[in-house]
Amino acid sequence: MANKRNNPMVAARRGPSTAVITGIVVVVLFAAAVGFGVYRSQQVASGPAAVPPNATAAGVPVGPASAKATIDIYLDFQCPVCRDYEQQSGATVEQMVAGGQAKVVYHPIAILDRFSTTRYSSRASAASGCAAASGVFPQYLKLLYANQPSENGAGLPAAQLVSLGQQAGATTSDFATCVTDTTYKGWTAGLTDQSSKAGVNGTPTVKVNGQVIGNTDAALRQAVAAANA
Amino acid sequence: MTLTTPGNPTPILDDSSTMALPDTPRAQVLPWSSTLARLVLGGVWIAAGLAKITDLEASVRAVRAYALLPEGVVQIVGPGLSPAEIVLGVLLVVGAGVRVGAVISTVLMAAFVVGIASAWARGLRIDCGCFGSGGQLAPGADPTYGWELARDGGLLVLALFLLRWPAGRWMLDSVLTRKDM
Repeated sequence: MANKRNNPMVAARRGPSTAVITGIVVVVLFAAAVGFGVYRSQQVASGPAAVPPNATAAGVPVGPASAKATIDIYLDFQCPVCRDYEQQSGATVEQMVAGGQAKVVYHPIAILDRFSTTRYSSRASAASGCAAASGVFPQYLKLLYANQPSENGAGLPAAQLVSLGQQAGATTSDFATCVTDTTYKGWTAGLTDQSSKAGVNGTPTVKVNGQVIGNTDAALRQAVAAANA
Repeated sequence: MTLTTPGNPTPILDDSSTMALPDTPRAQVLPWSSTLARLVLGGVWIAAGLAKITDLEASVRAVRAYALLPEGVVQIVGPGLSPAEIVLGVLLVVGAGVRVGAVISTVLMAAFVVGIASAWARGLRIDCGCFGSGGQLAPGADPTYGWELARDGGLLVLALFLLRWPAGRWMLDSVLTRKDM
């Protein structure tokens, strides 16, 4: 018949003691506190990030400051849809900048690090900061897209990030050092954090004067025309 | 507890009691079901925690993406969640404090269900961030709120099951309580 000692149901019916409840809750909360502490110390350790010359802590501005339309492009160099967008609307953006109708702020954020084994998103973004410092960001962006590594691979090696920069016109030795040292990784982290705070939850996200627009060329033309009307 | 009617030698379970006799089929199955529930729920907690703990900044972004909590709270919940999930998962797997773990699991899972449903209702385009995506959708991907809700709803049911029937086989709790007796 029922052997109460060996029946686990019997013990459980009495419910956990206060000590057990307190113990478990404290252990779980302690783990959470450790996570919070590690996060805070990472934030403090990174300190204020170095911002590349010709860029700001918010991104890389290109074009006349007086233009009536500001196009914000949030992109990740690992993102194939961002490459598609560049192929579709890159020329349109260039015309608008050349014609003085718009200025662009590129936000090369790193949200797709999990799609490469080497955190390529972060490395490529930091390298684009070096390109901005050398004044060749738009050319470098095109080359990074043209040579975009496939998802779930190893990404481009640092040596190729350097040679693409040289191809874009960044020929100083400073550029190579900047890329291999990932000098601007803190800048990348800052851009990524800011984009999250701005509600950007995917790439590409395109805004014109602060309003998110659809990722079509027509939507871009319409929004910029409206800003210039 | 058990009644033996004169004409029937078979013990009859009192309906109000969950204390099944060891020789009824239910008493055989229930402890093992509880063990299975613990292993599944605990395993998912551990997997979810490990997936996020290597990138605490992404974890913060994932929580922020729901646009439900104030920034100060986001910065606590984001990095705090993954280690808490791992510890909770380990406690459930080894079977320590199962009922308390089940209560915490129920509360957390219910919060996730509310968060995902709310994101869906508000038309946000995010990933649930459950397994370390930072809340951002993969390029070209659409939200999968239905699947995420079904999964978390199922896990919520497991947590509630453990809350009601925490006692199973292979658990630390029963080893410790037996020593007390």
